[in-house]
Amino acid sequence: MSELPPIPRPEQQPLPPAGGPRRIVLPPHRERARRPRSVRAREWVRRNLFPSWRGTLLTALAAGVLGLIAAGVIAFVFFGANWEVITHNRWLLFAGGFPREEAWRLWVSIAVVFGLIGLAYGTWSSLGRRDHLFVLLVGGFVIFLMAHGGAEIWSSVYFLIAVGCMYLGYLLTYQLPRATSSLRTLQVRVVGGLLILALPIVLLLLLVGGDVGIRSLDGFVLNLVLAPVGIVGGILIGIPLAVGRASSLKSISWTCTAYIEIVRGAPLLGWLFVALFILDDIIGGDLIIRAMVVMAVFTGAYMAEYIRGALQALPRGQYEAGQAVGLNQWQRTRLIIMPQALRISIPPMVGQAISIWKDTTLVTVILPLRELKGNADSAISQFEFTPDRIEAYVFVAVIFWIVAFMMSRISQRVERAQGVGER
Amino acid sequence: MRLPSLKGRRLVSALLFAGAALVAGAVIGACTSDEDQQQAQAVEQQTQQQDQDQPAAQVSGEPRGNTLQLIMDRGMLKCGVKQTQPLFGNRDEDGNVTGFDIEFCKAIAAAVLKDADAVEYIDASDASTRFELLADGQIDILIRTTTITSSRDMELDVDFAQTTFYTGQGFAVRKDSGINSTRDMANAAICVQTGTTTEQNVADHFTDIGLDYEPTGGLSQDVAAAFFEGRCDVLTADASDLASRIVVRDNADDYKILPQIISKEPLAPGVRDYDSDWKDVVNWVVHGLIRAEEIGLTQANVAANAANPPNTEVARLLGVPFEGGSVSTLGFEVVDAQFIQRAIAAVGNYGEIYDREIGDAIPRDCTLNALARPLPSEAVDCGPGEGGIMYALPYR
Repeated sequence: MSELPPIPRPEQQPLPPAGGPRRIVLPPHRERARRPRSVRAREWVRRNLFPSWRGTLLTALAAGVLGLIAAGVIAFVFFGANWEVITHNRWLLFAGGFPREEAWRLWVSIAVVFGLIGLAYGTWSSLGRRDHLFVLLVGGFVIFLMAHGGAEIWSSVYFLIAVGCMYLGYLLTYQLPRATSSLRTLQVRVVGGLLILALPIVLLLLLVGGDVGIRSLDGFVLNLVLAPVGIVGGILIGIPLAVGRASSLKSISWTCTAYIEIVRGAPLLGWLFVALFILDDIIGGDLIIRAMVVMAVFTGAYMAEYIRGALQALPRGQYEAGQAVGLNQWQRTRLIIMPQALRISIPPMVGQAISIWKDTTLVTVILPLRELKGNADSAISQFEFTPDRIEAYVFVAVIFWIVAFMMSRISQRVERAQGVGER
Repeated sequence: MRLPSLKGRRLVSALLFAGAALVAGAVIGACTSDEDQQQAQAVEQQTQQQDQDQPAAQVSGEPRGNTLQLIMDRGMLKCGVKQTQPLFGNRDEDGNVTGFDIEFCKAIAAAVLKDADAVEYIDASDASTRFELLADGQIDILIRTTTITSSRDMELDVDFAQTTFYTGQGFAVRKDSGINSTRDMANAAICVQTGTTTEQNVADHFTDIGLDYEPTGGLSQDVAAAFFEGRCDVLTADASDLASRIVVRDNADDYKILPQIISKEPLAPGVRDYDSDWKDVVNWVVHGLIRAEEIGLTQANVAANAANPPNTEVARLLGVPFEGGSVSTLGFEVVDAQFIQRAIAAVGNYGEIYDREIGDAIPRDCTLNALARPLPSEAVDCGPGEGGIMYALPYR
C-alpha cells in the first residue's frame, strides 16, 4: 500500500509531542482498535482509498498504472525471461575465480556473519519488528541461489547451517534477561566486540592459508568484501579526521582539512585511476588492496564531514558539563562527545555506506577486476546467452537493491535503538 | 606564534589549491591517452626492469626492456584478455577464462614457462585502457581482439605480432528488409558501436558512396540488442561478431549478413615497443601453431612425432634429434628448442584451437582464417579448413 500516492486525509491527526516516545498510540486509534477487525479494515479503506470522488479517481488511476506495471513484470519474469543465464552461471556470479575446493571458506564466513547478525538482532531487538529478519532471510536466500550449484547438495546444507547459526544467535541473546542491567551491559559489550572483530575474522577466513589469496576475491564475494572494508576503514579514518579538523592546533586542523577537501574534490572514479596507475609505484601491493585503500580513504573523507557536522550540532553544554565533572579532554571525547556525535551521524553515514556499496561496481569499470556486474557481463557474453542480457542485468540490479535495502533497514533499527532524533 | 587570521586563511587556501592542482594533475595524467604520457610511463617501467649498470640516458631508441626475462624470472605470464567477447575471450560458469584468444596465452605460457596454466589473466575488457595497461607494464601481452592499424603501431607503445584472426567489418540486416548492399541503405538507421574504428569505417564508406544514413550508437552488446529489437535497420560490426550474435538466436533465419566487407580487421597479439626477444617468441609460437596444422601435427600425435620424427622438418619444429643427428635450436637462444612442441601439446594446432573455441559459430572454410592451401589459383572448391591466407613462415 505504501506505493500509492499520498491521499489527503479527511482529518489531520495531531502530531505526537516532540520528544515523546513513538510507541504511544493516540486515543482515537485505541478507541477504534476495540471494534471488530473487518469493520476497522472497511473503515481504513474508505478513509484512505475512497475519501471523496477525487480521491477515488486518483486511487483508480494509481491502481491502473500499478496493475499495468505488475502485469508487465509478471509477464517478463515468468514467461518472457530466460533465467538460464543466471542458473547456469550461479558460481561465476557468486564467486567467479574463487577456488571451488576452498568454497568452505565462503560458507563458514557466511555462517559467522549470519550468526553475528542473529546475536546483534537478539541483543537490540526490543524496539524492532520481525520484518527485518525477513529481509535478512531474503538476502541470504539470494546468496543461496547464486552459490547453490545443481550438483552440490552440500551447499544447501551449509546454507541451512548458516541460517541455523543466525537463529541460534538470535534465540541466545533474545532469551537473556534484560532486567539485570549489569548482565545487559556485558551482553552489549560482548556482542559489540564480536561485531567489531567480524571483518578481520572473515578476511582471515577468506584470504589466509590454503590455495587462496587476495586475488581469489571475485564476483559478488568481491563486492561483499570491498564495501565493508571501505565502510569500516572509512569510519576509522573519519573519526580522527573529524576530531582533528576541530582541533585548535592549526597544523593538525589544516592537515585534516586538506585531506578532506582534496579527497572529496575528485570523484571515486578518478581515485581508482590513481590506484591503478600511480599507487602502483608508490605503495605497490596487489590491485585489490590498492582498491580497498582508495575506497577507505575516499569514504573516510565523507565520514569525517558527517561526524564533524554531528560534533558541531552538539550543544556546548555537553562539553562544559564534562569539564564540570572533571573529565579530561580524552575522557570527554570518548565518554560524552563521540557517542552522541556518532549517534547523530548514523543516517548520513548509512547513506554513504549505501553509496560506496553501489560504487563497488566501479572496480570493473575502471580497474581490471571482476565483481558481480563484471561477471554478469561475462555471463551474457557466453555464446549461447548473448540474447539474455536484460535478465542478467535485472538480476544484478535486484541483488544490489536487496543489499542496499537491508543496510537501510538495519540502520533504521539501529537508529531507533539508539534513539536518533530523540534527545 | 599565531598567524593573523586573514593570512592564515590565505595560506590554507593556497595549500588547498596547490593540493587540488596536484591531485587534478595526477588524475588527468592517469586518465589521459596522451602518447607522451604513456611513453614516459613505459620508459620509467622499463628502466626499472633494466639492469642497474645501464645508464638511463641510453633508453631512447635502445632496447628498453626484456619482458621475456621478466616473465621467466616471475614464472608467470600476465596476459591481458577480454572477458566479455563471445567465443574469443570470456568466462565460463566456473569462473575460468576461456576462448580463442585465451588459447594463445596458454600456448605462449607453455612455450616459455613449460606450464600452460602459469598465466595470470588480467581483465583488459575496457577498450579505452587496454593500451595503457600494456604500456604501464601491468600486462606482458595483450591478446584481446585488437586490430592492427598503422596509427596504433606508430603512435602507441605497442608492437603487433602475427595475426591470429582475420575479420572485416560487415553488415547484418533482416531478410525481409530488401537490403542487399550498402547502396540500398539510403537514410537507413544503422546501429554502430561508438568510439571505435567501426564507426569511422561506416562514416568513410558512406561518404565514398555518397549516401546519408542515421547512426545509432552505443556499446557493442547494446547496439546488437537494439538491432534485434528492431530499433535500427542495419547492424554493423566485425563480420565474425555479427555471425556469432545471429546464429545463437531462435529466429536466426530471419537475418542475413551481407557479403560486402568494408574494412580489414586483422586481430593480433600486442607487446610493448622495443622488446624484440619477447615479440619474436610470441610471433613464432603463433606461426608454429599454424605450421603444425599445415603438416598435420596435432595435440594427440605430437608426442609420438617427437619420439619418432618422420622427417627433418618435424624434428626441427619439435626440437628433437632426427636419426641420431643433433638438435636444431631454430636460432633461438632465449628459449629452449622444444618450445613449439610444448605449445602444440598444450593447446593443439591452429585448426584444433579454431574448431574447439569457435567451431561452427563462425564457419572457417574458404575464409581468410583457413590455411592458404591449395594455392588460390588452384582452388575451385575449398576443402575443410582451406582457401584462406593463414600461412606459416618457414622454420629452418
